[in-house]
Amino acid sequence: MAQWLAYLRRTPFLLFIVLYTIATGGPFLWVACMSLRTTPEIFANPYDLPTHLHWDKFADAWTTSNYGTYFWNSTIVVVTAVALVTVIGAMAAHCLARYRFRGRRVLRFLILSGMVVPPQLLILSLFQIMLDYRLYNSLTGLMIVYVATQLAMTVYILEGFFAQIPQDLFDAARMDGYSDFEIFWRITLPIGLAAIFTAVTLNFIILWNEFLYAVVLLTDDSKRTLPLGIMHFMGGHQLDVGMIATGLMIAILPVILLYAFFSETMIRGMTAGAVR
Amino acid sequence: MAVVTVDKLSKRYDSSHELAVKDVSFTVANGEFLVLLGPSGCGKSSVLRMIAGLEPITSGTVSIDGRVMNPVPAKDRDIAMVFQSYALYPHMDVYANLAFGLRRRHVTREEIDRRVQGVAAKLGLIPFLRRKPHALSGGQRQRVALGRAIVRDPKVFLFDEPLSNLDAALRVSTRNELIKQQHELGTTTIYVTHDQVEAMTMGDRICIMNRGQVVQVGRPLEVYRSPTDTFVARFLGNPPMNLLRGRLDPAGERTMLRLGDTAFELPGWTPTAFARQTDREVVAGVRPEDLYESPLPGLEARTVLLPVRVITVEPLGPETLLLLSLGGSDEELIARVGRDTALKNGDQTSIALDTAAVSLFDPTTTKVVTRPS
Repeated sequence: MAQWLAYLRRTPFLLFIVLYTIATGGPFLWVACMSLRTTPEIFANPYDLPTHLHWDKFADAWTTSNYGTYFWNSTIVVVTAVALVTVIGAMAAHCLARYRFRGRRVLRFLILSGMVVPPQLLILSLFQIMLDYRLYNSLTGLMIVYVATQLAMTVYILEGFFAQIPQDLFDAARMDGYSDFEIFWRITLPIGLAAIFTAVTLNFIILWNEFLYAVVLLTDDSKRTLPLGIMHFMGGHQLDVGMIATGLMIAILPVILLYAFFSETMIRGMTAGAVR
Repeated sequence: MAVVTVDKLSKRYDSSHELAVKDVSFTVANGEFLVLLGPSGCGKSSVLRMIAGLEPITSGTVSIDGRVMNPVPAKDRDIAMVFQSYALYPHMDVYANLAFGLRRRHVTREEIDRRVQGVAAKLGLIPFLRRKPHALSGGQRQRVALGRAIVRDPKVFLFDEPLSNLDAALRVSTRNELIKQQHELGTTTIYVTHDQVEAMTMGDRICIMNRGQVVQVGRPLEVYRSPTDTFVARFLGNPPMNLLRGRLDPAGERTMLRLGDTAFELPGWTPTAFARQTDREVVAGVRPEDLYESPLPGLEARTVLLPVRVITVEPLGPETLLLLSLGGSDEELIARVGRDTALKNGDQTSIALDTAAVSLFDPTTTKVVTRPS
């Protein structure tokens, strides 16, 4: 009886979970199905399961539809930007969390205020700056923009975590003879690894899917990143739904892999300090 | 081997206008174990951190073997410190924690291994060398923290309340372990604590601090027996020294002290000792163990009986504490008597006081009135 009541009490919660899973997983499965069907098949019956698995569409997308180039461009820009923003952000976060210096609060406010400025507000001036510095329509330019825009969030995540590392550890390392940079490298970074994985994963997902800056700052087809490449198949007169779906699956794959590997560390990083 | 000299050391923190440490001076002899004792916030940890080089010095000097250390960075002072939180590096195993300080000092790999194994064997840490700190018990972590200090073979050890995170039983055994290690190594040691039992049992000498200043420095029993002011009198001892308002009555060459309704002679005190006590008011300090249910045999001559009423009886097992109200006054005092006392709450009785054990303090300055020798 009590067992039965317990199930009943949990029903609304379970119902919510089921609906939520359908709402988020459903479209993903639908796109996955479409990625293995041709466009005529999809137009004939959009919700059908694939009758014949067109794996060749992936090879086709990679070569003839240029997804290989887009994928490579995205990889270069995002991996470099994430690496840079992590290193720079971690050093900034370490200083803000560890040292009390004049102007610290102002500096912290300036860096973190970057999180609340909407990108639409920056895009015009950014476009002009990129033109002036001959960085318009270049992957290097986009990479620099990505580092700048993600720095605020990175510092925010890492500073909160680094500030919880007990001061005694740093004092002990100083007594053991280590310099400020060595302390950052040998104490802060390894202990803050969970937070760093969190920052890396979040930044990677955000930048991998980034569209606005890329569409404004890149024009050449050979320089397009994946989100732009996919958009390319949504022309004014043609809409190659099948190819878009295949492109989406190629784009989603690295994110899923990354999340599968780091999700546990990431959740640990985000909830660190919640329970002491 | 080192002599540590602290001279007129002061500290002001940026956030405050007041000095957290005021003109603190003391010398720790070679191989000596000095305990800095005081209540929370008295500045003892600040003094320790300034000696370590972790905190800038506002004024004054810290010297080791005559060399002024003020401009020398922490890493070059050849000092090892054990922290209250142990400060073990959580991402390194015990071996790496012990070796971390040696690696930086360009000690060869073989030498590091020899020293780490030696210290681990000495402290019983061999089975735990490959464990991370989170997989150790509190006592084991404490030993790793101690080992990390020992392995460097420094000139000076600093301890910042290293036992306060341990439970009572472990604290006693670790305390003994620490004393044993320090005796074996003979390294000059400064130990900060707010626990008077640690101070009494561990220190060669105790330096008592209050409100940023040194109040008294001396051997444990000397400080306990002859406190220089009412702060030390109340701070050392559990229960603390009873402080009772009294009046002095000179009677020729003798000095009479009046507590409540009772006046009695203080042996050895001449009226000249009280030349400054013009208003004749004093504070009399009596340790609870100097009060007895009946006069001690053979000491009747210097014992006086004070009329009291028993307020509460607290049997502690080995002894019993009596909270008493002194006849003819509103003052209360605590007596430490034998465990088999028959006294009950509300009893009217008298308690025997060993008059030779009374300390006198000036009520305005709170300083002790020196007994004439």
